[in-house]
Amino acid sequence: MRFSVGKEDLLVPLQLVSGAVEKRQTLPVLANVLIKIEEGLLSITATDLEIEMSAKIKLEGEYVEGDITVPARKLLEICKSLSDNELINFAQDEGKIKLSSGKSRFSLSTISAQEFPNIEEAVFNQKFEIEAGQLKSLFDKTQFAMAHQDVRYYLNGMLLEVNGDKLVSVATDGHRLALSKVQLNQSVTEELVQAIIPRKGILEAGKLLSAPDQVCIVELSSNHIKITQGDFVFISKLIDGRFPDYDKVLPRNAQRLMVAEKSNLKEAFTRASILCNEKFRGVRLNLSQNLLAIHANNPEQEEAEIELDVDYTDEELEIGFNVGYLLDAINAIKSDNVRFNLGDSNSSVLIENAESSDSLYVVMPMRL
Amino acid sequence: MRKIIHVDMDCFYAAIEQRDDPSLKGMPVAVGGNPHSRGVIATCNYEARRFGVHSAMPSAHAARLCPDLVFVRPNLNKYKEESKKIRQIFHQYTELVEPLSLDEAYLDTTESTHYHNSATWIAQAICYEIYQQTQLTASAGVARSKFLAKIASDWNKPAGLKVILPEEETYFIEKLPVKKLHGVGKVMARKLESMDIFTCGELKKVELGVLLDKFGKTGKYLYDLCRGEDKRTVKPHSDRKSLSVENTFNENISEWSECEAKLIELISDLTRRLQKIDKAEKINKVYVKVKMADFQIRSAESISQGLDVSLITALFKRLRKNFPEPIRLLGIGVKFPQTPKSKLEQLDIPF
Repeated sequence: MRFSVGKEDLLVPLQLVSGAVEKRQTLPVLANVLIKIEEGLLSITATDLEIEMSAKIKLEGEYVEGDITVPARKLLEICKSLSDNELINFAQDEGKIKLSSGKSRFSLSTISAQEFPNIEEAVFNQKFEIEAGQLKSLFDKTQFAMAHQDVRYYLNGMLLEVNGDKLVSVATDGHRLALSKVQLNQSVTEELVQAIIPRKGILEAGKLLSAPDQVCIVELSSNHIKITQGDFVFISKLIDGRFPDYDKVLPRNAQRLMVAEKSNLKEAFTRASILCNEKFRGVRLNLSQNLLAIHANNPEQEEAEIELDVDYTDEELEIGFNVGYLLDAINAIKSDNVRFNLGDSNSSVLIENAESSDSLYVVMPMRL
Repeated sequence: MRKIIHVDMDCFYAAIEQRDDPSLKGMPVAVGGNPHSRGVIATCNYEARRFGVHSAMPSAHAARLCPDLVFVRPNLNKYKEESKKIRQIFHQYTELVEPLSLDEAYLDTTESTHYHNSATWIAQAICYEIYQQTQLTASAGVARSKFLAKIASDWNKPAGLKVILPEEETYFIEKLPVKKLHGVGKVMARKLESMDIFTCGELKKVELGVLLDKFGKTGKYLYDLCRGEDKRTVKPHSDRKSLSVENTFNENISEWSECEAKLIELISDLTRRLQKIDKAEKINKVYVKVKMADFQIRSAESISQGLDVSLITALFKRLRKNFPEPIRLLGIGVKFPQTPKSKLEQLDIPF
């Protein structure tokens, strides 16, 4: 195997693909990336057995076909360190890869390509196209609410739901829930299709969706999701489990409505959060006639009291929240005004863009 | 459905003294202050109760009721030792043990796997084991809620067990005299009786608004209890709000030198007790309380960082200046900030 590639052609794809490599892996070969030369194309693949990412780069000049795996981290560090506008030459020499660029030479260890695990072939029976930017924004609007290492393993990921021509993403950690919707150009399926993509897959796939205007192809099987964007392919296993019935917990018939200017509200919560309990992050909200008072205190008995003019004409309410959850939701909303749909002090709040309802955020209160 | 056991030792202090001193066998025994001083009775045994003696009664009064009553000075260290043994027995069955004092505790055995999750059998086993290890008897009550479990433990005392099955609950409460409800003392019982309310069944017929008007916040509490509503959970770690010590003097005092000497005694007492609970650095308030010769209670409080002795002395001085009458009781105490985390509890999405 032998080939040459420009640094700037290699670096970005290599960086993206290496995201799949786990720092602590069980198999030595999982620390490596698979390099394959075939029909004028260089393909780089990395996997952690749960997700697989690969990129294809068109080669110029001469090459000899072949495949081998090399340590991902070291290869990436070397590529980063090399000077721009220089070709990097790769040549297989017995059990090593010789790498040279300008006056620098490296010899990297290898593991045979046969040992590199492939995610098993899947039959993808659903397929749709979506602009990369739309898909990324769908992820961005909900991914912060995913659980992290929760025993309810099905919460450690994001639910993607295809229903006709609607694509919905939902994430929840049991305390708050984020939901976002987007309209597809075509109707995909008659029946409802649900897939839970693991947390790491969502985070890595998001990085891959870098060209907003490019159309990407999403394919689903019963166990896998595959996203193809240009020369990048992302495959992830799905979490085998039942996602909670989110529709059931979206609060309806709000008794109280508060509308506030987003930037002001965000500032007010941020200020109050400085003096809330660092671990539990509880703040008290007192709503009265066109006034929101936010109160925070911590175990050191320090206190913050922030008042803000809002639109509110309903019955007074005192309610507690984890301020971090509120800020996450507000930050994900892209509009000038946000609306809080409230019930009583033990019921969840539904936070939404005051102008559209493509995204919804449900946050459970803290008991006062 | 919750399964709560209330275990209550039978005349704990007196029983220990009687066990350890065979000469007290069959005698009426009271543990507490000397009848010739102003002491009160901490506990007495059943032999003494027959004469109408009860805890918290002035010792002198008890001695008049029962001339043969044997008074024993309390030995708290010994009682603590026994209490520790009993708590260890509780913890064999569940981690959810909420001690109320040295001699009683609530246990939540809802999740306990012992005895096929039978709270009745667990309660029996606990009483048996307590007797095996300490030769002391305990009574236990089993029910779905704390307040019923507590009433039940008193039902067949001593050495008795009472189980209130969920299906018996309504009938049981219906017939229950309101006096049995925790928090209903003489005064409230009299008020209720004046409204022709003697049983919880009668109480249940009263509207919430009426109870709120008559008894304020307690009205809501009564309203809930007579409906069997008691959502209080068994809390293994009680968050101590304060710590105090006090002393009733043999003779009223008024001279500052005498007052100061008593104050110093109490401060050393308080210091010793603070060491045991390991919260001294969290103290945020100190206070002084005095009971005047006419039983009026006066107190003064100040924010403080730690146990500030000069601050306590200054508070006491100010009290003496404002109320120079002789005092019969002096108490000092410290308060701890309430951790706000217990107030704010994150709720889960009800999937």
